[in-house]
Formats: sequence, structure tokens, C-alpha cells
Amino acid sequence: MYGGGNTFDGIKTDSVAQEDPAKLAEFEARIARGEKIEPTDWMPQLYRKQLIRMIEQHAHSEIIGALPEGTWITRAPGFRRKMALMAKVQDEVGHAQLLYSAAETLGKSREKMIEDLLSGKSKYSNIFNYPTLTWADCCFISWLVDAGAIVNQLANAKGSYGPYCRALDRICAEESFHLKYGHHCVIYLASGTAKQRQMFQDALNRWWAPMMHFFGPSDKISAHTEVLMRWKVKMATNDDMRNQFLDMYVPKIWELGFTIPDSNLKKNTETGKWAYTEPDWEEFKRVINGDGPCNKERLEVRRIAEERGKWVREALKSPKTAYVTPLA
Amino acid sequence: MNSLDPRVNRLPAIGQPGQILPKAALDQLGTFEVFVQPKDGKAFQHEGIVHAANRDLAFVLAKEAFTRRFLCTSLFVADTRHVYVSPTTEGNTSAMDQLAEVINQPGTAEAYDIFVLPKRGKQHVHVGQVQAVLPQEAMWKAKQLNLHQGKVVYNVWAIRTADIRFTTEEEKDLWLTLPEKKFRDASDYKGGDKLKEFLERSKTT
Amino acid sequence: MSNLALKEILYKMADDLLVFGHRNSEWTGFGPLLEEDIAFSSMAQDKIGQSQALYQLLHQLGEQEPDTVAFTRNANQFHNCTLVELPNREYDFSLVRHFLFDTADALRWQMLMQSSYTPLAQLAAKVRGELRYHTLHANTWIKQLGSATEESIGRLQQSLNELAPYALGMFERSPYEDQLIADQIYEGEKALEARWQQAIEKTLAQTQLTSPDWKIQTPHLGGRVGEHTEHLQPLLDEMSEVFRIDPGAEW
Repeated sequence: MYGGGNTFDGIKTDSVAQEDPAKLAEFEARIARGEKIEPTDWMPQLYRKQLIRMIEQHAHSEIIGALPEGTWITRAPGFRRKMALMAKVQDEVGHAQLLYSAAETLGKSREKMIEDLLSGKSKYSNIFNYPTLTWADCCFISWLVDAGAIVNQLANAKGSYGPYCRALDRICAEESFHLKYGHHCVIYLASGTAKQRQMFQDALNRWWAPMMHFFGPSDKISAHTEVLMRWKVKMATNDDMRNQFLDMYVPKIWELGFTIPDSNLKKNTETGKWAYTEPDWEEFKRVINGDGPCNKERLEVRRIAEERGKWVREALKSPKTAYVTPLA
Repeated sequence: MNSLDPRVNRLPAIGQPGQILPKAALDQLGTFEVFVQPKDGKAFQHEGIVHAANRDLAFVLAKEAFTRRFLCTSLFVADTRHVYVSPTTEGNTSAMDQLAEVINQPGTAEAYDIFVLPKRGKQHVHVGQVQAVLPQEAMWKAKQLNLHQGKVVYNVWAIRTADIRFTTEEEKDLWLTLPEKKFRDASDYKGGDKLKEFLERSKTT
Repeated sequence: MSNLALKEILYKMADDLLVFGHRNSEWTGFGPLLEEDIAFSSMAQDKIGQSQALYQLLHQLGEQEPDTVAFTRNANQFHNCTLVELPNREYDFSLVRHFLFDTADALRWQMLMQSSYTPLAQLAAKVRGELRYHTLHANTWIKQLGSATEESIGRLQQSLNELAPYALGMFERSPYEDQLIADQIYEGEKALEARWQQAIEKTLAQTQLTSPDWKIQTPHLGGRVGEHTEHLQPLLDEMSEVFRIDPGAEW
């Protein structure tokens, strides 16, 4: 799973001025031809920096994203759900493993990335700073947050950096299980008892605003990313991805007879664009900067996990092996 | 911590909340490259890496990190430092054409496994084994033997076979129940009938 | 062959695997290393899958559905050994328990491959690869951490000493022991225990850990007859929290 709405450094137009123009032209031509960049290729500093930042944020979102659903592993109702949820959350940890490895090929170690996560220096998807109060919240994430993640990841899988594309190909194959499993859970709640239906309606009411935030600030106010689009780092605008998500999933939510808590939500059949109440971007900023309901707990849990695992990692060090940058 | 998560409530207090100790430079494990064979008769393919203390542990960890769904018949791992890498090429230039001629090296020849990258952005694929004294020589031999079947390839890897932790014959049953692990597969969650029945029921009430 | 004897062994195995898998699944997302987090979760999934298959065999012998059996009984109706219900503590504790339990479990399933009760023999043959992985995983880690740093060796040794009496509780004799042996369901707890001790010592001999003196241990018994530690009921309450909202509902 992956939260969109990456934050990028403010990019100045002269950010590539110090690069060798011939090499830069060759690099841009390769991307324009649709060829992937491999780790040993020459690349502009800005490309490396922004990619590390993006892939790292993606990886952090997976490992933090394992927490709000992980809480329901010990409470999942029945064998079928228990096995599926265990496998699903395990996949999130697995995605983090794949993504950290992809970012490592750019020269930043996993340990350093985890350190930056814990210190708050690097971010993760905002949506995981909200609590999963009931089983239905967990089902919302499995279905709809993962659905949003797929929109995002399918776009990014067409990006220019080889190792990230390879990781995403694997991840997208696994996400199809998450999506189907999540939808399956919600169908069962929808067609179940009145109490079950209400459980999901309540979850939907709680999660709709964070879900709209998920794709990041509106294009009107988000940072200038033209060069990142040209280099195929960022593959679609936030609003385009949000629109694609609404187009695919709003009808499915309505089909199940649930009410989406936004009376302005409506598709313009001429433009194909969805109209909705503008999400509260001040709240988004506030939460991403640490003031959400679960920020503290999420980071504290990760910190404790790291601390508790320290003696294990110490005992795995050996003079015969050494950390090196992965090859691909 | 006072959490909604019962698992979190059971976590021990350790260190100071919010206090992050910088990681020692050495808090980094070795890097191992992982190769997987999905089916008998199919080529091994590079899948990614794991961090581990040694080859045996890397093998154990790679098994669930990379072969817990779909199909697998065999797996192997090698220390990243044991992978000899050619230059990377693009367009119509094959990495095979960039290799230097290295032949008749003094010493005892050993087996090397050879991998090529058929397309940028895809995985390295195993194409065969050669006998050589040096990895450079192994690559040159691979080219002479046309292991890449004349195709343009963009990168070549050579690993001394003795440096690889293979799956033993008796370990092949590790993946015996893998095809039955349907709960990890989208196909096990078909909600169509339930949905249809629900929609029918909604219409009548 | 009496169904009672057969049900007894099926129940104790299924309950062991369910509770053990459940405990180990609590590590998901909290593991010491991402790769290990994934491996530990897979093994927990294998265990719960195996328990479900065993409850299915019980269902064929007239017991209730696997979900009902697993999610609605109270602690005193569970037949797992107390070893598996203890809280996870630190990773050394969970890892040593995994080593002690899975060494026994693999040997038990190996015996069952020859069982005269065909459905169990078939299941044993099927899951042998999973058990191979679980013991490979346990032995590789014990060898690594049991010969690494002063801290890792010390932690493992302490967990080993603490868990030893509980581990012996795995082999609590059944009232049907003689009958199960006579009917060739399997070779019985005594034979299993002897083989287990050998296997444990073989791995420990390759480390700097010292095997507990099994003769002076007092086995922690009672689990097989529903006498549990104070830890099992809360585990079951948590496991069935959602299921019990409406046991008739489909989730």
C-alpha cells in the first residue's frame, strides 16, 4: 500500500545548472525514448535526490501502514479472515523491504532511511496517522486505501528508474490480492446484519476525508513538479489520480448502498471530472507535520521495534560480510 | 503506551519515548542477491536482495521474502560482493560487445554462473555456466559460447558457482504446499455471487 | 479404534498450532529485521493453516465447524500445551520457543506420516515441506545467535532455561497413550520426547549454549487437560472479539 501526495523539495529552475549539459541531454534523451535508468548510469543529482526521497517515503508508508491493520490480526473473525489479514499485513512489510532495497541502489542505506523516519526527517503517507477503531476500519483500508495505492503505483510503475519499476511490478501483483480481499470483506459487511452495515458506514464516515487527502494537495496549490514529470519521477498529478480513484470506486461504494459523506460529490458527465468539497488542506498539513491522532504512536511503535531488535542485528554482524549497495 | 491496539499495549517500555539514537555505522548487515526459478525447466531470474549475516541465513530469509506466492521450484543466493558486473549499455549496443577479451588465464578453471539483462528495467536472467579462472574470462567465454543467443543484452553478471548457496535436492519440498496457499491470491476472493444476491435482495425491500 | 483417542490427539495438535500461530503473528510489523518479520509471519500462517486442516478432520469426525471450535471455546476447553500460550516477551524468548516447539512438531508430523489413520498420514505428507522450513529457520537462527555476541548468547541461554519445563509439557502423556500406540496412530509421547531431546542437543552442540539438564526439570503439565496459565483466556478473548459480536453473522 502506498500513500500518494509525496512531498518534494522546492525545485528551483537552476537546480540542474551545474550538471554537464552533454550528459544531461543524453540522460533526458534516454528517458524520452522510454528506456529505463539503471543504478550505474549517470544521473543528475536532483534526480537521485528526489527519487531517494520518493521511494523512501513510499517504503516508510508501507512499514507504518502495517500498523493500523496489524492491530486487527489478533482479532480477525474466523480462519479465512485471520489468514488473509496476516498475509496482507505481511505483504506491506514485504513491500517496505522491496522499496528500501530499490532506494538503497541510489546510495542511501536502509538503516539511514529508518533513522530519518524515526527522527521525523522523512515522511510517510498521512492516512496512517488515523486510528482503526473497528474491524470495518481495517476493511476500509484493505479495500479503498489499497485501491488508491494501486492507482498511484500503476502510474509510478511506468516511471524511469529501473529498480523502482521492478519493485512496483512485484508490488502491484500482490496488491490485486489486497484489493479483492478488501472488497470481499466489505461485501460481507454490506450484505450482513444491520450492525455490520452500520460498522462499515461509520468507518466510511471516518475515513473519507483522509482518503481525499491521500493523493496529496490539489494541483492548484502543490509544488512545481514539471521537471519531475519530464524525468518520469512523478507520473501523474495529484488531482488526476484522485479523479481516477473516484471514477473507479465511488460507483462501487454506492452499489453497496453506502452513503459517502460529501453532498457535493458528483461526476460531471461532460468533462469526466468529479466535483467534490475541497478537502481541508490545513488539516492535511497539520497532520503531516505531526499533529494527527496517531503520529506519535506510530513513530513510537517503530522506535520500540528498532530498539528491541538492536541486539539481534548486532549479533548478525560478521567480519565476513559487509553492507554494500544492492546491484539492481 | 495507551493504545487502541492491544499488541501495542503489550509492548515493553524501552529507551526514552521520542529519543532516537543515531545508528552506529556498523548497524548494517551484508547484502545478498536472490535468484528464483518459478518452474522446472525455466531459467532462474534475479528477484532482489535481502540483508543477512551469511549465506545460510540469507537463503532462509529470501525464501519467504521472494517465494511465498505463485510458483517456485528452487532458489539461490549469493553475496553481492561476489557478483562480477559488466558495463551497462543501451539502445542497440550489447553489453557483450563491450567485453574485453580475456583468455587462457593461468590457474585452475572453476565453474561460473552467467546472467544477462535482456531489457533495461527488467530482471537479470540466468543463461548458463562456463568454466574459467577469472570472472572476466567467464564473461568472455559466455560471449564465445553465445549463451545470450545472439540477442542484445544490456548487462552481464558472473558469479563463481562455489559462492552460491543453492537449494539442495531434499530442500525442494520447501515449496510443496505453495500452490495451495490460495489465501494469498486474489482469485480466492470472488464476491460476485454474494454481491448479486445482496443487490437482488435490496431491490425487493 | 476409538474416536475419543483420535480426537484427543487431533485436538491437542490443532490447539497447539492455533495458539502458537496466533502468538507468533503478534510479531508482524514489530520484528527485529524486515526480512525476519516476513519469515516469522509466514510460519505463523503455516501453523494456523495446519490447525484449520486438523479442525477440519475433527469436523469430519462429528465435531463442530473449525470456526466455531476455534473461536468460541473457553480456555479450559483447549488442549494446547502451556508452552505455546505464554506471552511473546522479547525476540530471544519467541525464537527459543519456536526452536523447542518446532523441533518437536516436525518430529511429530514425521511420525504421523506412517499413521494408520490415513487422513492424518496424508496431511503429514503434505505439510512436510513447511515443517522442513520451520526447523531450518529455527536451527539457522539458533546457531547464529547462539554463537554471536555475549548478549545474544546470554539472552538465548536464559530463555532456554526458563522455557525448559514448559517445553517438557508438550509431551504430557495422554490417557489414550497405549491405545494410540497399539492402533499405530503414532509412536507416542515418550518416543517423541526422546527423539526431540536428541535433536535439540544436536543443534545446541553447534553453539555456545548449554542444554538444560532435562532430568532435573519439573515439566509444566496440565495444558492437555484444560489447565492453563492465566495467559490463555485473554488471548482467546482477544482472538474472538469480533467473531463474538455476532457468531451467527458472516464476516
